[in-house]
Amino acid sequence: MMLKKDLITRHPLGIQGDEIDIISRGEFGAVLARAGVGKTALLVQVALNAMLRNRNVLHISLNDPVGKVTLWYKELFNHLAQGDTAEEANQLWEFLLPHRFVMTFKIEGFSVPKFEERLADLTGQNIFRPDMVIIDGLKFDESVRQCLSDLKKLAGEQSFHVWFSMHTHRHEETPEDTIPYPLLDVEDMFDVALQLQPDGTDIHIKPLKGPSELVSGLAELTLDASSMLIK
Amino acid sequence: MDDRQVRNIGISAHIDSGKTTLTERILYYTKRIHAIHDVKGKDGVGATMDSMELEKERGITIASAATFCEWREHEINIIDTPGHVDFTVEVERSLRVLDGAVLVLCSVGGVQSQSITVDQQMKRYKVPCIAFINKCDRSGANPSHVIDQLRSKLGHNAIAMQIPIGLESNFQGVVDLVSMKAIYFDGDNGEKIRTEEIPDALMTEAAARREELVDAASMFSDELTEVILEEKEIPEELLVDALRIGTLERKITPVLIGSAYKNKGVQPLLDAVTRLLPCPSEMKNEALDMENNEETVILSSSPEDPAVALAFKLEDGPYGQLTYIRVYQGSIQKGSTIVNTRTGKKVKVGRVVRMHADQMEDIEAIPAGYIGALFGIDCASGDTFTSPGTTLTMSSMFVADPVISLSITPVDNQAQVNMSKALNRFTKEDPTFKTYIDDETKETIIEGMGELHLEVYIERMRREYGAEVETGNPRVAYRETITRKAEFNYTHKKQTGGSGQYGRVAGYMEPITETDFEFDNKITGGVIPTQFIPACEKGFRACMAKGPRMEFPVTGIRVVINDGASHTVDSSEMAFQAAARGAFLEAYAKAKAVIHEPIMKVVAETPTEFQGPVMGLLNQRRGIIVGAQDDGPMCVIEAQVPLAEMFGFSTVLRSATQGQAQFTMEFALYKLVPQSIAEELAETMAKKKKNA
Repeated sequence: MMLKKDLITRHPLGIQGDEIDIISRGEFGAVLARAGVGKTALLVQVALNAMLRNRNVLHISLNDPVGKVTLWYKELFNHLAQGDTAEEANQLWEFLLPHRFVMTFKIEGFSVPKFEERLADLTGQNIFRPDMVIIDGLKFDESVRQCLSDLKKLAGEQSFHVWFSMHTHRHEETPEDTIPYPLLDVEDMFDVALQLQPDGTDIHIKPLKGPSELVSGLAELTLDASSMLIK
Repeated sequence: MDDRQVRNIGISAHIDSGKTTLTERILYYTKRIHAIHDVKGKDGVGATMDSMELEKERGITIASAATFCEWREHEINIIDTPGHVDFTVEVERSLRVLDGAVLVLCSVGGVQSQSITVDQQMKRYKVPCIAFINKCDRSGANPSHVIDQLRSKLGHNAIAMQIPIGLESNFQGVVDLVSMKAIYFDGDNGEKIRTEEIPDALMTEAAARREELVDAASMFSDELTEVILEEKEIPEELLVDALRIGTLERKITPVLIGSAYKNKGVQPLLDAVTRLLPCPSEMKNEALDMENNEETVILSSSPEDPAVALAFKLEDGPYGQLTYIRVYQGSIQKGSTIVNTRTGKKVKVGRVVRMHADQMEDIEAIPAGYIGALFGIDCASGDTFTSPGTTLTMSSMFVADPVISLSITPVDNQAQVNMSKALNRFTKEDPTFKTYIDDETKETIIEGMGELHLEVYIERMRREYGAEVETGNPRVAYRETITRKAEFNYTHKKQTGGSGQYGRVAGYMEPITETDFEFDNKITGGVIPTQFIPACEKGFRACMAKGPRMEFPVTGIRVVINDGASHTVDSSEMAFQAAARGAFLEAYAKAKAVIHEPIMKVVAETPTEFQGPVMGLLNQRRGIIVGAQDDGPMCVIEAQVPLAEMFGFSTVLRSATQGQAQFTMEFALYKLVPQSIAEELAETMAKKKKNA
């Protein structure tokens, strides 16, 4: 399918090689930004990219209902597939859908044991087995370390990797070139961390941490704020 | 007539949240009925609103009857809305008729999946609403939890107008946060209202909640804000006016509480209806201009302008057909002439009446903003009536295609006669319900939007019309379509003595998504004479009804003819129709035809412990699970499942969850059938042909 290949390269993180994930199983990645800059959008883009490569993505949203999350996917997919015929885009969307599962928890309702139970429901009946998990909206407070290390264990056992969104606050901003506050305490657990920095209608990806080739590749990238695609 | 004293309201709710009981109590307190019956009454009388037998039996409300009552110099029309999504057309039609709604919620069950659907519909039609948390006497009642759910699940800015005095079996009355008084309901049927000071124990909570209420209201009135800032006594009227503005803009949802069954809290709800919900002229009503490409037009609500009215409900009475109408503009008078915009027929208005469930009162005219009924007018539900010369219509002519069909066979002659009567009535009432006779099997087929939709009509046939019928297995409305462009060049030639038949058509067919069928004539130089072009189109169109591949209706095809030939003597309309048929078959065989099936959006709500099994069930049915929403003790699973796999799902779901899960289903889209299923279908089709 020509179109599919096309979409992968048009993708912000697609240039990192078509066939590899940015992080591997058991590893953690984080997208950091202030509210409203586009953490969810970038995560959904990462997810779409993985889905295009036949990876199963489990999207856990702690803030938004299922309907809103699926809207994000549809919107960003449409952006990505712009210029393709409706027929082709539809077919591709049909192909992508089974690779995605959206789960929501009320914020206070999320815990690793609970998640493990839900996951067992899915994998036990062979309904869905994730290669990648997105956790959008987790609070990075004092107690998060325990949660993360439990997750890490689970991710290793079930062989998936996890992307998190991390909300940074303006008033907590740290000086240039240092690790922002929410990541500071748990930095050792993350393998890749990307910070989004708005600049007018553009958004720059600033890699805070990651393999050196990824860091240098990404440092140059600018995204369009409305679609989160490379300019 | 002043329409400021008029309220057209609907009472919307989940099944079993006590909607019918509440309506019954309202009619009692407004002195429209003089005794109270329960929905599932032992006395066999049943609540007055459910005029249909079946609804009485099942304890659910299917059709929307309009009833009229008076409360404190206000005229209130109550439109009883159906509670099940399978009857969406009827729900949506009744929502157009209302100006405001009371959303009834159970204080134990809270916001359930059904309430979400109904709420979305209200949002779509921008109907302002107030909420009534019913059943506060039940064990487990928790009104403040329900208010939280209104906020979190439905996104309403829910504001408590009252707090309960006691709860569950100790539920005694309510504290009104506007007047800051305790209200109790005495007498055998709660008809005597006793107002007292707020009990000391509740004073702190009442003060805190009132502050929230005043705070919310102050957003809508500068005058109120000023009074608050000056720390003056807040006049009741000022507070109510501000709340009213917020409610009309759908920016706040005032919440009242009570227990209709225990006769508590109903009168304050009626007060709230008159004080907070809009009168007809405060609502913007739109019509579509048929002359102008269905452009929307705002109606004036003035009784002097040309009349525009919507027939929203039909009923068979002892004196013929009764048509419920809502007048949006102008007025409909006894003896005047009106036009049905769908058929273009002129009719003379005979009797004009105002309805109260099964009794009626003759009136002279129905002015704009009012609801009434006409006698002896032949029309379908959803038709628009206007003064002659107006081309406005209240509803678009678009109706969704049915997705499921069922064959029915009457058991005897009497049933045959009654069945045709019933079908005639149902198809008029409900545009999504269709019926026809299968050419081959001579069976009567009924079509609709879901299993339950058809079941209810079969039940109604039995009960209301005494038509006993046997039903076949439900059949899914599959469709055929093509996936690639294919060319045709077909010559129809016949020489059997006398004048022969000759016609050649050439061109191509290709898939389209916008419409079912498109015909494009690109013939130049008159190689096919113009008078035969319609015959070509007719020939192609005729092939769409039954696909060559599996005999399912064909959709999404564009036919272009660009060449052909004719004979001065032997060419005829017949010949070109036959040529078109041949051409269609020729191209269709090359166009990679596929089968599409209807996919339903299924939303199942289940206690969290059954989440796994429920997802398993949906998955087994070729469902794609879109997501799972965790919401405390309950969780909501959303999936897309082929309709063909959903038969009998309610039984399976109930047994897998100890009866605690429920689901709703609506048509989502048509989608390609997987190869293995297509083969199965082909096999069944082959067998059927063999047996025939």
